[in-house]
Amino acid sequence: MNNLAKFTIGIFLTLGIAWLAFVVGARSQYGDLTPTAQVLDEDGSVPVDAELFPLPMSGLAKQGAEEYAALGCVTCHTQQVRRVEAGFDVERGWGKRPSVPRDYVYQDHVLLGNSRIGPDLANVGLRGHDEAWFHQHLFEPQTIYPQSLCPPSPFLYSTVEQAGDTVIEIEPSDDLGSSRLIKPSARADRLVAYLHSLKQDYELPEIAFVEDDETEDATQIDVVASVDEPHVQLPEWLRNQIESGKEVYMKAATGGGMCFTCHQVNGKGLEGQFPPLAGSDWVLGEKDRLIKISMYGLMGEIEVNGVKYNNVMAPPGIPPGSLTDDQIANVLTYIRNEWGNSASAISAEEVARVRASLKDRPAMQMFTAAELTPPVQ
Amino acid sequence: MILLMSQDSPDKIIDKSARLVFSFFISSAGLWLLAAALLAYIAAAKLTDPFFLASCEFLTYGKVKVAQANAFVYGWGGNAIFAVSLWILARLSQAEIRGRLFLILAGVIWNLAITFGLLGILDGHMSGHEMLEMPTEVWPAMLISYLIITFLALVIHRSRQVRETIAPQWFLLAALLWFPALFLIAWNGLEINTARGTLQTVLSMWFGQSLIWLWLTPVALGAAYYLIPAILGRAIDKYYLAIFGFWCIAALAPWSVVHHLEGGPVPMWIPAIGTVMSIAMVFPIAVASTNFHATAFLDVGKVWNSLPLRFVIFGTLSYTISSYIGVVFSLPAVAKITQFTIINEFHFNQRVYGFFSMIVFGAVYFALPKITGREIPVAAKNFHFWTSTFGVLLLLLAYLIGGLTHGVLAGQPTLPWSSSVIASIQPYFLITKFAFVILGFSQLVFVFNVWKVIFPNPFTCCANASKEVNV
Repeated sequence: MNNLAKFTIGIFLTLGIAWLAFVVGARSQYGDLTPTAQVLDEDGSVPVDAELFPLPMSGLAKQGAEEYAALGCVTCHTQQVRRVEAGFDVERGWGKRPSVPRDYVYQDHVLLGNSRIGPDLANVGLRGHDEAWFHQHLFEPQTIYPQSLCPPSPFLYSTVEQAGDTVIEIEPSDDLGSSRLIKPSARADRLVAYLHSLKQDYELPEIAFVEDDETEDATQIDVVASVDEPHVQLPEWLRNQIESGKEVYMKAATGGGMCFTCHQVNGKGLEGQFPPLAGSDWVLGEKDRLIKISMYGLMGEIEVNGVKYNNVMAPPGIPPGSLTDDQIANVLTYIRNEWGNSASAISAEEVARVRASLKDRPAMQMFTAAELTPPVQ
Repeated sequence: MILLMSQDSPDKIIDKSARLVFSFFISSAGLWLLAAALLAYIAAAKLTDPFFLASCEFLTYGKVKVAQANAFVYGWGGNAIFAVSLWILARLSQAEIRGRLFLILAGVIWNLAITFGLLGILDGHMSGHEMLEMPTEVWPAMLISYLIITFLALVIHRSRQVRETIAPQWFLLAALLWFPALFLIAWNGLEINTARGTLQTVLSMWFGQSLIWLWLTPVALGAAYYLIPAILGRAIDKYYLAIFGFWCIAALAPWSVVHHLEGGPVPMWIPAIGTVMSIAMVFPIAVASTNFHATAFLDVGKVWNSLPLRFVIFGTLSYTISSYIGVVFSLPAVAKITQFTIINEFHFNQRVYGFFSMIVFGAVYFALPKITGREIPVAAKNFHFWTSTFGVLLLLLAYLIGGLTHGVLAGQPTLPWSSSVIASIQPYFLITKFAFVILGFSQLVFVFNVWKVIFPNPFTCCANASKEVNV
């Protein structure tokens, strides 16, 4: 301890051993980590012609990652789905499976983060939000989630007078406000491209989807996990919600929804008259649209899964338009998870938020499909 | 011989040689402390009202929060480390501080580099690596100025009168030498031979946490090992354990810090080894705790009556408690709940404020009167102590209870995120905002106390000042 040189060697040695492990050791372990196919051949080789995952990021998304880093989004958002035994992430619907090192091999900036004042974003591109939603959220998160603590970024947008191709309308959150038109800057576009690119929706040889992940957000109709199985693997809260929703769907007395009379018990509707709910892009897509229809009904021409219908759907419920927030949440969760459908649950809070945003709309004034921005095919 | 012949005692001569350097570093540290306090308030206010200053791009939450941590660790922490370790090393070596001009020059570079670094963060050039967020352009300046200061600190140590070294010297020298090593490893792995994928995160997490464990912590421990016996006038109890404690920290801390990656997309052995080493950290924690508290509790009255010592003992108690809590939170069963919550803030503030800063305050209040020959009013010091104590405890309690709430609610998948989980911890953010206001006032008083003795007559410049030196 008295000889400075020996002392220095000693303290660097202790540090050096850890360095050897974390830097040299881990680096050699990462060395052969390359994109690979979802399923390998029996002999462990990558099948010819197989699509390799993860997919490379687009140039715009890469620039978006720079913006994300520069704005310090990583201060509040993680981008990692923890292993099932280490956390609730999959259960919360933040991913179909835990994240693995291979998911990040294409990222120049790996921003795993270590704080979650905001939700995890590893799969934010899978939650069924369109670009306008992302822009609105970046511009002023509180117009979507009133209690969000996410800082608004008005400096990424310019306010414009006239609607246009890229212009987004922000509806007022209260009676006093008027709607605002905003135009995203190039930086905002990059950020949105980046956020859209964040998805771990593929399996890898080292990690499969977690089995009972029907709670998680999925807009793709083809990722139905278990088509005809009863909901035994679902968490209890979701099972309860689906069961209560089924009652609403089937009940043809006061306080019921009587949905089955048109959409049928099997959810397939009636050809040419009533659209199906099973596999419907309207049902599995954006939640707000669905909630609005459940409150006010729908009239006029509508295209569902490429087939046109023209009929009137009175505001659901007996008497019409009488469904409570809880009932709407339950019945929508039911139809999103029955007949082979699998999409995220809808909560009463989300319904309440939509209801609040529509309080100026006259009761019983049915929506038209045009008002609701149909799902992108 | 020369020392004995002069009128002053050796300590006086050393203190005189430290005067300019210590004053420079500690007054810049004070300014950084105030800057960090302001940024901390803005960040806390933004969590209670997201529309607060929302239109200023350079003050968006992510940037302010990061700038605050950097100002605190490099600005306040760095300058305070230079001041305290140079002075203690000089005192223990019985050698004057030499190369003072170079020290000041390096200090100026260091401060300028951090200033540009923070402006870079606010201007949108953040790198995204934990505790290395400042733009890479300022890293060389930081490293060079740091190396100059460390070199001159080693020169002091090499010219020591007594060959045998003691605990404070080990801790201070190790901290001074570890920082550039950590910095170079991180720099190499993140910028020069950029690591692939999540290995970047392993590296930046390792650097960010090691910075606290291998830089701030040993300096504070070294200062405590020096100050407690110096003020109490008695030897450290069970001193023979200190060497074991030192090597335990050296050997275990670089491994233990990675337990924060539990469950994440990194090789599983990394967090696993981190957890094991975290548990092993109970040994060095117990050693330091025994050394400090067994000594201090032999003379509780003196501890209470000496304000510098009160600060130091608050810091060492805080170190003991926070480190044990850290061990508990590293267990996978607990980490499942606490990981990613605002308990991270609890850890950070406990360590850099409750422990490191409190000991530095004690060191400054002990050293400054000796160095400048002027006393700081007792009432002002007491005000600083009590507001700091109250503010820190309030802050830490809010983060601890809020963090547990955060973790427990987040673990219930039915609860919507912003309207339920985050809404439930909002009251705690309000408390932290209040705590940061109290701490801000407290730090203002500290800086005022320090500047008042360093610059007693700010408006009657050099002539009077030089006279006072000769008195």
